[in-house]
Amino acid sequence: MSVSALRTESPGAASPRGPQASSRRRNANRAHRREAAFGWLMISLSALTILVFTAAPIVFTFVLSFFSWDIISPPEFVGLQNFVHLSSDTAVIHSFGVTALLAVLIVVLQIVIGLAMAILVQQRVSTWARSIFRTAFFLPLLVSAASISIVFSYLFDDHFGVINYYLQVLGLPQMQWLSSPGGATATIVIVAVWQQLGFVFILFVAALGSLPKDVLEAVSIDGSGPIRTFFSIKLPLISPTIFFASVIGLINAMQIFDQPYVMTKGGPGDATTTTVMLIYRTAFQNIQFGYGSAISVVLFVVLLAITGLQFYISRKWVFYS
Amino acid sequence: MSSLLSQAVSRRSVLIGGAALLGTAGLSACSPGNAGSAGGSKTLNVAYFGTQQQADKTAKVADAFIKANPGVTVKFNGINGTDWNDFFTKVLTQIAAGNPPDIVSVATEGVQLFAQKKLAHPLDDFIKRDKDQLAPYFKDVHPALVEAMMYQGNLYELPTDFNAGNMYFNTSLLKKSGLEVPQADWTMDDFKSVAAAIKKNPDTVPFDWVVRLWGSWTSSMYANGGNLVTEGKYDGGDWLWSQFYSGDPAAQGRKGGWKWGAPTANSDAVVESLDLMVELANSGLSAKPDVGGGSTLQGLFSNNKIGMAIGGGFWAGGLHNAGMGPDAFDVQYFPKWKVQRHLFGTGGYGIFESSKNKDLAWEFLKSLVEPSAIDILTAGNSTTPSRRSMMTADRYAPTGPKNWKVFYHTLDKLPNTAPIPAPPYYNAMANALNQRTTEAMSSGRAKSALDGLQKDLETAAASIGS
Repeated sequence: MSVSALRTESPGAASPRGPQASSRRRNANRAHRREAAFGWLMISLSALTILVFTAAPIVFTFVLSFFSWDIISPPEFVGLQNFVHLSSDTAVIHSFGVTALLAVLIVVLQIVIGLAMAILVQQRVSTWARSIFRTAFFLPLLVSAASISIVFSYLFDDHFGVINYYLQVLGLPQMQWLSSPGGATATIVIVAVWQQLGFVFILFVAALGSLPKDVLEAVSIDGSGPIRTFFSIKLPLISPTIFFASVIGLINAMQIFDQPYVMTKGGPGDATTTTVMLIYRTAFQNIQFGYGSAISVVLFVVLLAITGLQFYISRKWVFYS
Repeated sequence: MSSLLSQAVSRRSVLIGGAALLGTAGLSACSPGNAGSAGGSKTLNVAYFGTQQQADKTAKVADAFIKANPGVTVKFNGINGTDWNDFFTKVLTQIAAGNPPDIVSVATEGVQLFAQKKLAHPLDDFIKRDKDQLAPYFKDVHPALVEAMMYQGNLYELPTDFNAGNMYFNTSLLKKSGLEVPQADWTMDDFKSVAAAIKKNPDTVPFDWVVRLWGSWTSSMYANGGNLVTEGKYDGGDWLWSQFYSGDPAAQGRKGGWKWGAPTANSDAVVESLDLMVELANSGLSAKPDVGGGSTLQGLFSNNKIGMAIGGGFWAGGLHNAGMGPDAFDVQYFPKWKVQRHLFGTGGYGIFESSKNKDLAWEFLKSLVEPSAIDILTAGNSTTPSRRSMMTADRYAPTGPKNWKVFYHTLDKLPNTAPIPAPPYYNAMANALNQRTTEAMSSGRAKSALDGLQKDLETAAASIGS
């Protein structure tokens, strides 16, 4: 192409106001719109699913919390009556106490045991054995909590359970695992921790495996012992993982349902009646959907507040490098 | 790789495919789910308490009806649940979803709930109209079962089966303990003696039970002359008793259904009954019970881990299915305490008020109380037939127990036998009972737990306005 030709073509080609450029821009816009439409179409099914099965029920629950509804009769608007009632309802307040106790025990034990196991596996075990451990610890997470709870309720049965049988064989006193308040709480914590430990374990194995080697080498050269290295170097470096595990763990644990529902039915008495169990019982068994929704809304607010508090406090102890 | 899979998928084909998929989904969503009425055909939807597999088996009961009514189909929809409480919740959810069935299987537990909420249609007019046709049925059915299906003077169901809370014995454990099945007039002291003897067998629990309203410690409560609520009867029902039970002494005093009044859960008789269970557990004569439907209990019983347990006619089928031979267990009345009063629950089918096929549903209901139909509904002794004439030695020969006559004699020979208390707030009552029972068994303080139950029941009764 000659220089003159270039000169002839260039003004039109370079000019943003030229007719050809305008046409190209229109084409590009059209292509972009088509691309966007295709994108929307691709996510439409997921979006619709979330809208119908997640967003709409949340909105419906919020609206329903201002009504009294027994499914059969039309809903009756009661304003804030449900919230006023639940603020003095000892069963609701007690359920929040039970849930908080279980959640704290489960999350703390998961993190402590998960971290301890991850450290042991990271330090003492070869790479292939580590894979086996990772898989083994993760497997319970794939089984439904209800199935696991059924199996464990047989194991922990006061009279016919394997656990008490071996305690007896060892000459130890038999425990009232499921028929005493303390035993039932402990059993639920044991089962929940056992099942979900794998998730935390995997997180910590990954976090410990990705610690910067140069930092660890430098610490080693400086003569730091393993305990000092762990508390002063490793722990701060994996603090984001601990924070993540605690946030996710607490949100999950505050919604605990399967284990107490299957193993103790919330008993003995109301010793293990968690908030979600109470919501289920209120709404689906006592057929008070408005009141059940109000408890759900309060649980949502409590979870939101706890998570917000966790994020606020995390500024003081989580180390992002 | 096939050529189809190896082809690049164009955007247009994806769009067309997606549109077709959405279109199909939309059409599926719009299709009528519950009432096929094309070409004049009619479908009766039956909400059945059980798995779909059980529902499909039970659906055989409709074969004769379908044959006699060309163009009619009867669809049994299995709704599974741990107990009646669970079942009702699911049926109510189905109703809320705008998909109410025409017919629903309801036991005593739910009759008043459904009737009070105007969900069930009274059968009175149908029965009066077809009285001649139904006379043999009522003649064959104990009036106590019929009365348990009434509410405020109206009859809502024709009972097909029932279960009273009798006492089952593991005969091999009895034999090992040097005992035999007690006599019919055995007492609570006898019961304790039997339990103490069975306790001597290693790795066994003399007596076990399940926390629930039917056949739980509530059996002791009835035997002790107590109840969770005051007992009364609604007026009405004279048309039924005079028409079908004239001259029957068992029908004397029957009225328009049980009227469950003010809660009496912390009355002396009730507290004493629960105290007995605490005492039995503390002395090792009983296990601390689980909450639930009782299938675990049957498993332990069949494995010779339990000497005695409360069960109804349905236990015969359950124990047989668990591998027990006909002689491996037997049954007797629940022991006499202050009285030898038993509790029972009865089952049947009711018509939904919202059904557009009530006449057809009624025809089907009538077919369900024919002996051939009840035979299917109670197959394998999974429950006890409501018709006395069906209680035969042949029926119980394959499963046991030897003393099967006890089942119907509980109604015939113990006239004070009554249904479980099941007011319209039954769900709340059952939940509260479960919670307070486990509390009492754990703490050992029956009175305190029952004070709590009293409050729970008062709240529940007030909330439903009954």
